Amino acid sequence: MIDDLCDAPCEEEIAIAMFYCDFSGQQEQTTTDIVGAILKQLLVRGEVLEHVQKAYRKAKREVGGRGLRLPDMVQMLKQAVAMLPQVFICIDALDECPPKHLLGLLRSIKDILRESLKTRVFLTGRPQVEAEITGSFITGLTVPIVSKTHDIHIYLESKLEMDPEPMAMSVGLRADILRIIPERISEMCASASTVPTPCMILY
Amino acid sequence: MGSTSYQRSIWIGDGNFDCGNVTNSNNIVNNLRVTNRNNTVNVNNKIIADANPEIMQWLSPLNPRRRHQDVRTDRLDGVGNWLLETNEFREWRSREGGAEKAVLFCCGDPGVGKTYLT
Repeated sequence: MIDDLCDAPCEEEIAIAMFYCDFSGQQEQTTTDIVGAILKQLLVRGEVLEHVQKAYRKAKREVGGRGLRLPDMVQMLKQAVAMLPQVFICIDALDECPPKHLLGLLRSIKDILRESLKTRVFLTGRPQVEAEITGSFITGLTVPIVSKTHDIHIYLESKLEMDPEPMAMSVGLRADILRIIPERISEMCASASTVPTPCMILY
Repeated sequence: MGSTSYQRSIWIGDGNFDCGNVTNSNNIVNNLRVTNRNNTVNVNNKIIADANPEIMQWLSPLNPRRRHQDVRTDRLDGVGNWLLETNEFREWRSREGGAEKAVLFCCGDPGVGKTYLT
């Protein structure tokens, strides 16, 4: 998706910032640091950078270098976004964001969107965070993601091409792999979708 | 400082991205690709030179760009392109939906490929 944004013909400048939540980094991935990581990627214009430099110099004068609090960081991000023509913020795997940080992160994004109509936010996550997300933004678009047969084919063909012993694979076995695995995965997806999940019960 | 011209399809950054013909790989400005009607990107060198690592660290110790590059490297061409053809993505991307369609949430079970859609 980010590559598509980059490659599409565009009449005005766009700035893209992304973040990948990660179970293994939950200790470090606080709301403040996630918002800061997004802001870092938007220091792409002189006025934006100067604005942040000014805040940095001020913080450094105070008590030997004061750290940033979430409201300060969100405020700086809002000001940075306002200085850019259009901003895309992409955050992956929100279900891997610790619950204590998730709501703060969603609230921060909502705060930014309230002041910037031109900003677009792309989020991914498992169904267990859907309630938090739809509850935070009320309006928005949701796309259910399932494994597509076409994508599974591409993946399998790529793996078969990398087979270190291709001569050991018969034409029949190769054809079976490409036929049966996508079928089975499709069946698994179909049967999984008929089982009520806690998330579905909430609705 | 004058400006440096880049041809389109160039990531502006430290050269870790393999996306085009970087004509000036001085660094710090991260993860931005800018395009305009003429497919030319202008970058003010002062911005690049002044981006201070101390400020970057002060803002956040996290570096999502590394993870993004890993995902890009592993992603197979063509996988997930279906998303780009959906009405939801087009509405979100085009801004026609206004503020009501500013957020696009891709929801799916583990292992269905959500990260590679990003």
